[in-house]
Amino acid sequence: MDTLPKVEPRPAPAPERLAYSVEEAAAMLGVNYFSVYRLIQRGKLKVCRAMSRKLLVPRSELLKLLKTD
Amino acid sequence: MNQHPFANRRPTPLEDRAYAEARQHFAEHLNQYPASHDAMKNLERNLASTALAVSAAAAKSSPQESPIQTGDGVQWYRAIDLFDNLRVLYRRALYAVEFAVMEFFPNGHYEIWNRGYNALDVLRAFVSEQRQALQTWADDLKAQVAEFLAEKNPGEDLSRVIEAFVLKCTTESVPRKQTISHSHEQKYGGGIHI
Repeated sequence: MDTLPKVEPRPAPAPERLAYSVEEAAAMLGVNYFSVYRLIQRGKLKVCRAMSRKLLVPRSELLKLLKTD
Repeated sequence: MNQHPFANRRPTPLEDRAYAEARQHFAEHLNQYPASHDAMKNLERNLASTALAVSAAAAKSSPQESPIQTGDGVQWYRAIDLFDNLRVLYRRALYAVEFAVMEFFPNGHYEIWNRGYNALDVLRAFVSEQRQALQTWADDLKAQVAEFLAEKNPGEDLSRVIEAFVLKCTTESVPRKQTISHSHEQKYGGGIHI
């Protein structure tokens, strides 16, 4: 008797992140950390602060920069 | 004068372990911060000669390379490369030459960080802003290390570890020997083999 092929349950898609650390932002932009801090310092990349005071780059800001030009 | 956090009392075994964990987790910061800091220090030290090189490049009768056109339609020519993706460019205006420090991103995006008609002033303004960016980096790193250690060691006071780690990262220089051999290797393709 044929058996139905076993279907592996698909993993649920990871929820989209709202913000990224500076390290993650640098990796996404393909630049070093200093470039990202330069963008932050000049206000070209708007950031928010976590409870710990560490900087977080909103996804929307990164997308804006990635889409420019 | 600032004293090293461990100057008065040796680190406890917990502090030793926490410091090693932070070193491992933030290794890339330990790698990148001193290199960026050194690049800035080097530019600051050679500000006048760099400005001269920029002015000399702009004074050449005809630019060697094709221009880079910015969004406002202005055409810029490369004077010199600074470090990373940073360059100083110039353009001939009606009565003067304008200079700009620009950064070029891999996706084609660019930023004009500073511009003006005096190369030395443009570079000076750029260096001053980069000092602030390095301070933003140091402050963020401190917050990141504090968060990381608090998650791993809840309830423990590891403030001395945080201070010591940030101090190490922000005051350490790239070993000169290593820098020279690395750039030499890049330039001459791995050295001379006899």
